[in-house]
Amino acid sequence: MDAFQHRRWIIILTMLIVTLVFGVRLLYIQVLNNDWKNRAEQITHHKVTIHPARGLLYDRNGELLVAVNQVYDILVTPKDVKDIDTAQLCSLFGISKTEFLQKIEYASTGYNVSYKASTFIESMSKEEYSRVVPYLNSFNGFDSKRRTNRGYPSGIAAHVLGYVRKISAEQYSKDQKVGEKYYNQNDYVGITGLEKVYEKELRGERGSAFFLRDYAGNDKTNLEENYAISGQNLYTSIDINLQAYGERLMKNKLGSIVAIEPSTGEILSLISAPSFDPNKLSGREFSENYKELLNNDTLKPIINRPIYNANYRPGSIFKLVQALIAMQEGVIMQSTGFACNKSLINCHNHEHPLNVQIAIKHSCNPYFYQVYKRLIQRGEQSSIFKDSRLGIEKWNAAVKSFGLGVKLNTDIPGVKAGRIPDANYYDNEFPSKSNPYGKYRWAFSTIYSNSIGEGEIGVSPLQMANLAAIIANRGYYYTPHLVKKIGKDGSKRPEYLKKNYTMAAAKYFGPVINAMEMVVENGTARNAQVDSIIVCGKTGTVQNETFNDHSVFIAFAPKENPQIAIAVYVEYGTWGGIWAAKIASLMIEKYLAKELSENGKNKEKQVLDAIILDKHSDFK
Amino acid sequence: MENRTKNIIGKVDVPLLVLFLALVIAGLLTVYSASYSEESPQIYSLDKAYGKQLVWIIISLLIGVLILTLEGSFIRNSAYIVYGVVTIMLLIVLFMPAIKGAHSWFKIGGFTIQPSEFAKFATSLAIAHFLSTTGVKIQETKTKLIVFFLIAVPGFFILQQPDPGTLLVFFSFIFVMYREGLSGNILLGMFFALIIGVMAIFFKASEANVNIFSWVFEANYLYLFVIVLASVLIHFGITYLVMPRYRGKKYITNIIGASMALLLVFSCNYAYDNVFKDRHRDRFEVMFGLKLDRKGVGYNSYQALSAIGSGGSAGKGYFKGTLSNDKYKHVPEQSTDFIFCSWAEEWGFLGSFLLIILYTAFLIRIIMVAERQKSKFTRIFGYCAASILFFHYMINIAMVIGLAPVIGIPLPFFSKGGSAILGFSIMIFIFLRMDSERKDVLR
Ligand SMILES: [Zn+2]
Repeated sequence: MDAFQHRRWIIILTMLIVTLVFGVRLLYIQVLNNDWKNRAEQITHHKVTIHPARGLLYDRNGELLVAVNQVYDILVTPKDVKDIDTAQLCSLFGISKTEFLQKIEYASTGYNVSYKASTFIESMSKEEYSRVVPYLNSFNGFDSKRRTNRGYPSGIAAHVLGYVRKISAEQYSKDQKVGEKYYNQNDYVGITGLEKVYEKELRGERGSAFFLRDYAGNDKTNLEENYAISGQNLYTSIDINLQAYGERLMKNKLGSIVAIEPSTGEILSLISAPSFDPNKLSGREFSENYKELLNNDTLKPIINRPIYNANYRPGSIFKLVQALIAMQEGVIMQSTGFACNKSLINCHNHEHPLNVQIAIKHSCNPYFYQVYKRLIQRGEQSSIFKDSRLGIEKWNAAVKSFGLGVKLNTDIPGVKAGRIPDANYYDNEFPSKSNPYGKYRWAFSTIYSNSIGEGEIGVSPLQMANLAAIIANRGYYYTPHLVKKIGKDGSKRPEYLKKNYTMAAAKYFGPVINAMEMVVENGTARNAQVDSIIVCGKTGTVQNETFNDHSVFIAFAPKENPQIAIAVYVEYGTWGGIWAAKIASLMIEKYLAKELSENGKNKEKQVLDAIILDKHSDFK
Repeated sequence: MENRTKNIIGKVDVPLLVLFLALVIAGLLTVYSASYSEESPQIYSLDKAYGKQLVWIIISLLIGVLILTLEGSFIRNSAYIVYGVVTIMLLIVLFMPAIKGAHSWFKIGGFTIQPSEFAKFATSLAIAHFLSTTGVKIQETKTKLIVFFLIAVPGFFILQQPDPGTLLVFFSFIFVMYREGLSGNILLGMFFALIIGVMAIFFKASEANVNIFSWVFEANYLYLFVIVLASVLIHFGITYLVMPRYRGKKYITNIIGASMALLLVFSCNYAYDNVFKDRHRDRFEVMFGLKLDRKGVGYNSYQALSAIGSGGSAGKGYFKGTLSNDKYKHVPEQSTDFIFCSWAEEWGFLGSFLLIILYTAFLIRIIMVAERQKSKFTRIFGYCAASILFFHYMINIAMVIGLAPVIGIPLPFFSKGGSAILGFSIMIFIFLRMDSERKDVLR
């Protein structure tokens, strides 16, 4: 009846084909392929990073060394900057039109992109910020963010504390490639000092929260939240008063002070002069200040001298080590005497060194020349060359047990090992690497300057202070360290609880300590006397070809149950008995007696008035 | 009277009614979820989309029941009157204040009425009435012209609103014409024209180059060459392989066909360069997948596909959508044109597949019911309903799942919109009513 009846099937087939196509497409989008699921997540999920508060640093008595300041960053999103009164903006922030353009340019290039906010002005103080904030809304594309910044209430110990900066591009990519992939590009990290060493403990653990956001970017639903773990506070071993006092004493001088508590190895103060206010490296003026500290100042205040300058020769102080080793090795006894034979090596006039104690007291050069000769050429081999090789290896091992010529594992970056020469050194590196003596081409006569702490020995002030601590402890030391406790209920690093014994037995320390007492009492370091406290010390003078000699002094006090071991270096301060000894005694008195005696006060005035070097001097 | 009503309801095609109600209920649930907001969860709040939608559904069902009580002959006889009234409404609405840039709505109280939704069933009634008139033969040019006229008048007014999406739906009547005897070649020709045109635009948009023997030229030109070559091959194929009786005759047709194809390609190219605006070109590039644009013209499509894709196999669960609902609003128009996203996101592939099956079953049931009619009017009207709904379904889903450019056509029974649900319900209930009396007509 109806000739076109069959066409229903074509139409139904068309419908089925369309539905089949839809079905396959839906199967693909919803089940087989994950692209759209990922894109959906990008659209809906918003991850918010929760930054933990960085740990604070305290001194050994709980005084705050590093605090946090509230600061405000002004942010700019270059894409959104339109219809603004540039002139008004520039005058508000006190910048020039050129600077403005530079900042906008900077915010849109490199790893900043124009549709994201980047820093326009960094670290405004609360006062500065409250001045600009009422106007901020009238500038499209500008915004602000509150942040915390490191603050240094006492303005001291810059070298110990280090500083914190936004992670550098290199460090970031290193962390991504071979590191733990922890950091984001805008994170702040410790760059030097304790901030660097204890970075992991101080930074805490970042938290995060996932939100579902709506089309306008508002967070609507909190999916999950991982709380941030605040950084741990560090309880350092630094004594804030002693540190500040030392820095004051070292004004207008070049050098180092290291003070250690012998019974624990805790560093009471670590001073590098010239120093600077650590607040300079926190905040907006970082770049200018850093550049100035690094380049424009010939005295190199950035260098942490007490740990980094390990090429100072120890001078006469080294005789203490020589005496101890020689007694331990049995090449001399406590009562061994040598003539002060000035034809061997120069000396001054003094009483006959008929035992070790007297030799130390007068710092007799010929005496230690002969001691050292016995240590190096022991007569075990017929050839003096072979004999010297054997001798120097034994000597080297013994000296290294005093923490000299080895890198002390102190919790501060940049610690240097210094040098205690060995056979290999004289074979291959002396007098120069290109033209060395070679094996069996040197003997005691080549290296005798080592006997009095000159020659090829290099030590750092930290090692010298540690030596004072070793003598105070009569033969052992704890690796000097700066942090007593990590976290309020925490402890120090386990390696700092381990005693390191020297190769010299405790019984040999008695005469050395007595000699050091005599050095202060009526020897070369009478400047180091402190009323009512028995100070044991030893002066050293580091010869210096270009300018005045360096003045060096190590000491510990009191003699019984020592509380403080100290090394003081005053560069170009002539001989050790003057400035170094005075400064050391003031530090000891301040630490042990708190108040200075009359003598102390006079000494303090002399030290404070002394301008040994300042940055206006024509020293090169 | 009461007896008679019962009698009619007893004769209503139950599968079709059930499928219809299933779609309406699923649609309401989806609108509820898509426009749900935690701040005011009351379902009956008239201020909220779902509240209004519920009211419209109740009105639609009441009017539907009313239609079931009407005499079939009354409906047939009032076809032209309804068509006339709706056409006049379409004219008047042009003088109404514009909403979102279009003069498409009458505003009465808090409700708006969109007469172009009624034009769908009204035009269907008029076409069914005209084609079922004794002596009207579809093969006659006059008949085709009159049908074209019946479509063109409301179509013209709708274009003036402007509402090109709804106008496009009027092309669906071609299926009805086909079923009633329009030469299949016309449909086939249109189909080929569509394929050739889309491919032409694709080659143009892709700006692909072809390199043959180091001679570089636009893929576009190769495409022309392929068309000519295909024509020649088809010609010789027909000449030597297919039934001999077609030879000679097809010679001319083939040349005309090939020329038309070439002309089409040239006009597409011309249109692409000179008529299309950048936004049109972008839309094509996004559709062809040449560009994944998530901010500009591709935004809607990108968001929609993300929502659908995120549903996965089993969906996030009812009310658990995170893209296509009122709280997050990542999918624009999530309760109107893109309502399918909300369904697909919350019910996953299982749900979305079930829905297209349900839809297809519904459409096929209309065709089956239409085919069992002795009355030509009812059959043609049934085909009109099926064609319009199929067109909506095809274009809407294709758009939402990224198979067609974004064209504003709603998904019947799902997309929020009172006039639409009312118009489609009237259409279905008229059809149910006409079907229920098919045996009476014989008697
Ligand atoms: Zn002497």
